[in-house]
Amino acid sequence: MPIGYILLPAAWISLLDEARWISAVGVLAHLGLASAFLGTILMAVVAEFLYITRHDETWRDKARMFSVVSTIFFGVGAAFGTLVEFGLVTIWSNFITIIGSAIVLPFYLELFAFLTEVIILPLYVFTWSKIKNAWVHWVIGLAAAFGGYWSAYNILAVMASLSMRPPGLIVQNLASTTGKTVAGLTDYLVTWAKPTDVWNMFWWGANVFIFHGILAAAILTWSVISAIYLYGYLRERRPDQMKVLRVTVPGVAIMTAVEGFILGHEQGELVFQFDPLKLAAIEGLFWKGLKVDPLMSLLVYGTLNHAFWGYYSWPADVRPPLAPFDFLPIFYLGFMVTLGVLLGVWSGGLSLWYLFNGFFSRFNWARAIASFLERTGPYAMPLFAALASIGGAVTAESGRVPFILVKASPDPNGGPPVVSGVPIYSGGLINPTLSLPGWLVALVVIVEVAMPALAVYMVYIYIKHRAVREAQVVEY
Amino acid sequence: MVSPAIVAVALIAWAFSVHLPLVYTVLGLGWLLPTLELIGYRSGRRVYVDVAHGLSSYLIAVYAIGGVFGTIVTVFLAGLLPVFTNIAGVLLWPVWGVAIVFGVAIALPFIGFYNRTFGRVSPMRHIAIGYGMAIALTVIPAMFRLVFAYINYPVGTSITPSSTSNTGFTLSVNVMEALSNPTYPPLLLATIFGAIAMTGILVSSIHGWRYTSSRSEYHEVGHRVGNMVGLTSGVLYSIFAFWYLYTVYQYSPTMAWSIFGHPPSYLPSAFYSVYKPTFTLSWMLYMNIALGLIILALLLISLKVVSRPVEALKLVLTPLLMDSAELMNGLAHMPYAVVPPVSAAEVLIKTYGLDFTLNVAKWLTVSQLLTPEINALLKVVSVEPGLLVGSLVFFAFFNVLLLYVIYAALSWRRTTTAMGV
Repeated sequence: MPIGYILLPAAWISLLDEARWISAVGVLAHLGLASAFLGTILMAVVAEFLYITRHDETWRDKARMFSVVSTIFFGVGAAFGTLVEFGLVTIWSNFITIIGSAIVLPFYLELFAFLTEVIILPLYVFTWSKIKNAWVHWVIGLAAAFGGYWSAYNILAVMASLSMRPPGLIVQNLASTTGKTVAGLTDYLVTWAKPTDVWNMFWWGANVFIFHGILAAAILTWSVISAIYLYGYLRERRPDQMKVLRVTVPGVAIMTAVEGFILGHEQGELVFQFDPLKLAAIEGLFWKGLKVDPLMSLLVYGTLNHAFWGYYSWPADVRPPLAPFDFLPIFYLGFMVTLGVLLGVWSGGLSLWYLFNGFFSRFNWARAIASFLERTGPYAMPLFAALASIGGAVTAESGRVPFILVKASPDPNGGPPVVSGVPIYSGGLINPTLSLPGWLVALVVIVEVAMPALAVYMVYIYIKHRAVREAQVVEY
Repeated sequence: MVSPAIVAVALIAWAFSVHLPLVYTVLGLGWLLPTLELIGYRSGRRVYVDVAHGLSSYLIAVYAIGGVFGTIVTVFLAGLLPVFTNIAGVLLWPVWGVAIVFGVAIALPFIGFYNRTFGRVSPMRHIAIGYGMAIALTVIPAMFRLVFAYINYPVGTSITPSSTSNTGFTLSVNVMEALSNPTYPPLLLATIFGAIAMTGILVSSIHGWRYTSSRSEYHEVGHRVGNMVGLTSGVLYSIFAFWYLYTVYQYSPTMAWSIFGHPPSYLPSAFYSVYKPTFTLSWMLYMNIALGLIILALLLISLKVVSRPVEALKLVLTPLLMDSAELMNGLAHMPYAVVPPVSAAEVLIKTYGLDFTLNVAKWLTVSQLLTPEINALLKVVSVEPGLLVGSLVFFAFFNVLLLYVIYAALSWRRTTTAMGV
């Protein structure tokens, strides 16, 4: 019997589902805000660099605007992060013991990243007219952006460890081995083989996961920025809009290519190695036992005759849920892969058009394609990027359910690899005293959705009134 | 070699020392701003509204930085006292839940809308938004102070022996009973009026400092109103702080012993070894009283004369008193994270025996709740002390940087050239 093979009481199912919905919506909303911050602060720093090197005031104006926009997203995102953090404390309470006993280091380092962001970002925003040396101001912006990306790096390291147990991490089911629990709350104790193994949170595989996530954040935000500028350019044809498009659209294309061809492939290999059950669920390998799948075989081994364990080869209560309507393959193959490819097509096509316009504008077919991509781009690019991001996040997090700190071990009896970890249900992560009435779930979900909407509204208000609200900073 | 418990407590105390003045300021501004507006509209003096508007722009920044340090506190608690934080999360989750819903989900939009709707909605409607913001902000300390009161005197707790728990027992808490904690009302009231007093004094100091060079009505009003708020709320704070110390003496023997320097009279001598505090902090109590009297004297002087040295002293000494009082309150629990009540100890001895009771007491200490045998951070720091040293250097650097940013925010003024509509 695999570790964590515990029968799930029926009464827990609805509570677990409610808790998962609250957490899922909260994490997605926080990811949206964090992505917006990462993308806009990157845009601010890139724009200021272009201003300094090209002496073009347009870029200074854009840099200043994006720095303020990034601050709005940061402020709401940080507050939302606190909401998510308290979600952990109240809903998945036993995760706290796992933090303390094992995965604390990224959280600890995150404090310094957070301090960097919260102190240097306001310094960057409020010193546009104060610091005369543009390079010094740019370095402050770079430090603020570094804080943001370092923060993302640490949090994604934690998320990576939830999907792939880092080397040296030991998960013990105390209840089954010693008959004891930790303070009567959780059956599981998670520790390292030796103290310095805690640095393994940043192992090679985790870095693939981390940079996959970071790039996804930048792609999402730059796609939205591109769409907004494209929408404006089609109506106003302003040169400053084209300047932005010539940076952001190729940026999206390059990042999407790296995401798909390099990081995505490596990530897939890691999923195959650490959690073949997740692979079966997201790829739609819905059979029992070993079966040859030529396409998977080609992607993983470069051959056509390799067999894979199907989703139904594992016991029901270790399998990630498929309901409703086999959502995991839809989110993975439909949203993440297909729409990610389409985003690459749109951004790649428009990049060629904008960067090599002199060459392509000679061809009618190229003009027709570019016209189609431009007209649909304002709607297609953010939609593709958003759904691909959601697809990726849901695939990563729901695909490992019902476990965290997942690891696959060979079955000595020749069956499918034994997938183990700390379960999210009673005895594992969930707060054993929790009760979630329906109205409370609805209220929390409304708040979770309303907060990013509030941030977007604040950005809209800022951009709309920016010209007349321009404030001067003077010393007296 | 410094003990892990001291390192842990020092890190948590540092984070609290930065977090608390910031959130006190947020709470104080929350009540002060709509009140200033109300006075302004009632008296027909626009300058009160202008002062409120000027201060409101700081509210968001202070809220954000204070919130970040709140997260730092939580990470330290989770990383250094994981079992304690886990238990607190399980037992008091409705308290955390309410605090976070009001603290983030409701207070943040209120702060944003309050700032954004200056001059855009009717005066009374704007004041109503301001008081709505103040009420939402007050729910946060109302919940967190319940936790502080709980660790003074864990009312509503049931302890059951357990052969499966590695602690030897399990805990449960009736949250409604926990609300009847006698140390809770005075602690909450002292917090609210202490926050308003501190904020009033800080506002008066900054405006007073500026008044010495500009002599504008704007700064004169900010200085005078801040002083009056600081004085009246400070007196109320003193009354509630005295009440709080009285309840602490009655119900929390280790704290009482630590703060007053001797065991409380009701404590049987047989329990001395169990309740003896790690630190004797009576010197801090006297220092705090002295600081309070000095601030009172400075306030009275400031009401008559505006001078930069007096305003500077007020600006420095008031947060110092606040931090010192909070540190004294926090450290007085040591060696316990949760001080076991004498009455509960007696009942436990009678029901389950002395060994069981001593085991419960042991598990309520900071050093035991650190669970050093499984604490990943303590373990890695013990073999790589450079991590801790480096952290301290970084923290010192960021403290200096934070002070600079606060200075910059106060020394630069935004002059609105046009109001967007």
